[in-house]
Amino acid sequence: MSKSSFSKKINVLLVPVLATISGLILSSVILLLTNHSPIQAFSALVNSGFSCSKLTNCNFFQTLQLATPLILNGLSATVAFRSGMFSIGQEGQFLMGAIVAAWLGYAIHLPPVIHQIVLIAAAVLAGGMYAWIPGILKVKLNINEVITTVMMNNIAILFMSYVVNFPMNVDKGSTARSSPIDISATLPTFFQGSKWGVGFVIAIAASIIVYFYIWRSTRGYEQRMSGQSPLFARFGGIKTTRAVLRGMIISGGLAGMAGAIEVMGVHHRIMQGFSTGLGFDGVMVALLGQTHPVGVVIVGILFAGVRLGAQIGLQTFMQIPRELGGVIIALIILFVSADTFFKDVVQTTQKWLNKIFSRFRKA
Amino acid sequence: MALAVEMTGISKYFPSTAVQANRGVNFSAESGQVHALVGENGAGKTTLMNILYGLHQPDEGEIKINGKHVLVPTPNEAIHLGIGMVHQHFKLIPSFTVAQNILLGIEPHKYGLLRQGYENDMVRALADSFGLPVEPSEKVSNLTVGMQQRVEILKTLQRNAYILLLDEPTAVLTPQEADEFFKVLRNLAERGRTVILITHKLPEVMKVADQVTVMRHGEVIEVTSISDTNINSLAHAMVGRNIVFNKKESHVRPGEVIAEVKDLFVSSNNGAAAVMGVSFQVHKNEILGIAGVSGNGQNELTEAITGLREVDKGKVLLASLDITKAAVHERRKSGMAHIPEDRMTMGLNLQTTLDENVIVNQYRQKPYSRAGFLVAAAIRKLANSIIERFSVASAKTGEGIATLSGGNLQKLVLGRELSGNPHFIVASQPTRGLDVGSIEFVHKSLLDASRSGAGILLISVDIDEIFSLCDRIAVLYRGQIAGVLSAEDADEQKLGILMAGGNLDPAEEMTQ
Ligand SMILES: Nc1ncnc2c1ncn2[C@@H]1O[C@H](COP(=O)(O)OP(=O)(O)OP(=O)(O)O)[C@@H](O)[C@H]1O
Ligand SMILES: [Mg+2]
Repeated sequence: MSKSSFSKKINVLLVPVLATISGLILSSVILLLTNHSPIQAFSALVNSGFSCSKLTNCNFFQTLQLATPLILNGLSATVAFRSGMFSIGQEGQFLMGAIVAAWLGYAIHLPPVIHQIVLIAAAVLAGGMYAWIPGILKVKLNINEVITTVMMNNIAILFMSYVVNFPMNVDKGSTARSSPIDISATLPTFFQGSKWGVGFVIAIAASIIVYFYIWRSTRGYEQRMSGQSPLFARFGGIKTTRAVLRGMIISGGLAGMAGAIEVMGVHHRIMQGFSTGLGFDGVMVALLGQTHPVGVVIVGILFAGVRLGAQIGLQTFMQIPRELGGVIIALIILFVSADTFFKDVVQTTQKWLNKIFSRFRKA
Repeated sequence: MALAVEMTGISKYFPSTAVQANRGVNFSAESGQVHALVGENGAGKTTLMNILYGLHQPDEGEIKINGKHVLVPTPNEAIHLGIGMVHQHFKLIPSFTVAQNILLGIEPHKYGLLRQGYENDMVRALADSFGLPVEPSEKVSNLTVGMQQRVEILKTLQRNAYILLLDEPTAVLTPQEADEFFKVLRNLAERGRTVILITHKLPEVMKVADQVTVMRHGEVIEVTSISDTNINSLAHAMVGRNIVFNKKESHVRPGEVIAEVKDLFVSSNNGAAAVMGVSFQVHKNEILGIAGVSGNGQNELTEAITGLREVDKGKVLLASLDITKAAVHERRKSGMAHIPEDRMTMGLNLQTTLDENVIVNQYRQKPYSRAGFLVAAAIRKLANSIIERFSVASAKTGEGIATLSGGNLQKLVLGRELSGNPHFIVASQPTRGLDVGSIEFVHKSLLDASRSGAGILLISVDIDEIFSLCDRIAVLYRGQIAGVLSAEDADEQKLGILMAGGNLDPAEEMTQ
């Protein structure tokens, strides 16, 4: 029994590792075809994404800062998926959170701490309400959440573009942007020269809370059961519509929080092009992280590091277009999502090993 | 006669559950015969047939089909070899129609376009030729379990299988439906096809089979022809001991009314009236049976009482409390337990651990949760006590349950539902697909519960089950109670008449 659960754990680790290695091999082929040394390229990528020379000039801190919204959006997707909603509305909820935070950041004036808490709370609320809409459409009218969340994303993207160009627009002429938020509303950073700060701590705390909520609390239990087997949940006395709605609202709240932290910790305002697809990345992070908070944190940091490494290491030092970094990430994703293939590989190898061992034992 | 199937020395070990499901099994079936395969839950019958059908690979052993050595790496290869299988747990697509399911993958087409109108005609012709009528355009999700079974069988027949593997095909058919079905099987055998029939119902084996193989703990115990055996010796071979069927002794006097249904009206999924003015009372210490051919409103009635379906009109009372509109968890809190017909999708969640399965009806209560958090230690203790008290073989706390055999899954449901000492138990087909040993166990558990004061509503299409457990028997016909008989008054003939919509002789009704 302990043996079988051990080999299960190995499989959980082995599959993503094998997938990553396969992705790297294929990327190497592409690098070779474009006349670059894969070894040089990968070491440049790792050196720039995960290295730390001085505390004031540390790439890894930047990686952690870039990972913050990925982790929160990844958690958002995790909560939704675990509650049985294939919600890909993180982008929209993220933007709504950002808009509300940016607006309250300059529109009202409060002492530090309180101002920050108010902003985050308001953004959580905005994200949660924005996610509630596809949630209620699903439970009341059975409208597919994938379609509604995608549509809601588009609405939010256009809405963001509208607010930065019109109601919240300052200094006409340059790229459309809002006024900066009050100093009292910004999140402190840990070291000069990097924007790595309190936001990251919030993201890690959120991961821990999400873990305990989803796997240890009765409400998390209700959500997971409703997601896995609605009939069973209803039969047992769980109010599935309520559980599913709650899952959506929490999911939206987490994405909204990511938006607020991006505003308060990094940009201090919103502007045209604020969205770089961080919400969509959250879906990816959640799926690669096995929709588990631990996986989400690890994958979020790796994802951010590879992205930074591709930008600095590949583009700046090796003149390799940073899009190639995107290609590498995409290849790894492709292989990880084909995990059944690797499960087969692992299982067949195990079978072979078992056969060989049993022959040994017989001899 | 020639052997259609010959399996020699088949062994299969499942590392994930550490179960040796088959151990050096020799199994053969002659062509043109119906061969029954019987054995306890978990004996390895399904595993053996899955190997023949290419779903599992044996660790050891050989397979010959019509005398030729073959490898069956996939079900596709099995179909190619003329083998068809109807699984124990249905593999139909609920949102597709009957015809779409039956013709899945072999849809009639012309110039690359589906010919949908034609599909229904094809299926109707097929169904008629085998005497298994179905409505081709009906969605599978609207069908009763019995009907779904029929669709599964037609699906195999459509694929021209010469060797048919049927894994408990009659588990949910009424006696009449089953008799019809046996005619079909005999007919198939006479046309030279080979039927391998897994079943737990020994009278069926005696009725329809030519040969029988008995398995126990992964091994073949006995192979005999039907003329050389009888029900008792088969049952003995299966479990390795004599089986005693509990009969309800009627010395316990029913107590006060524990549950009552008053003039209940309920609609089915498509809005049609399914239950029309049903009233009855269940007393303490009493088992009230609801007999009837499946599809006469049993599902809707059960769901209305247990809170899974809205009531159009009428009342449901539990301990004189009106629970007509109460949520499921409120009913459960007031002492209602529910053993559902479908343990795979409703009774259990196969995707999660045993621990999380045993608390679904009581996770809000102490000691299983405190301050909104689950208490793992208390839950584990409950799980262990259920495993022990209901001897759920090869189940372990903290682990998945997807690989447990049907009997063990049902024991788990039973253990959970009875663990809170409920006052009122709604049991719907509680022994569907179980072996004689497990049936004995389930019946004993229900009788124990009723003896210790619970009122039980038993909904079953199995007349034998109704007879052996119930104090009173109500017959449901077209959504109405056609009659209520006391256990002493009831006999098979009277029930048969009521179930078919007939009237009992007025003189007899007077004497009741
Ligand atoms: N895929 C699987 N992985 C691990 N264990 C399995 C698997 N399938 C079956 N088993 C185990 O193998 C044993 C035999 O199971 P099998 O389903 O063949 O029994 P069965 O005779 O068909 O029982 P039933 O009458 O309840 O259907 C059981 O202990 C079961 O738990
Ligand atoms: Mg079986």
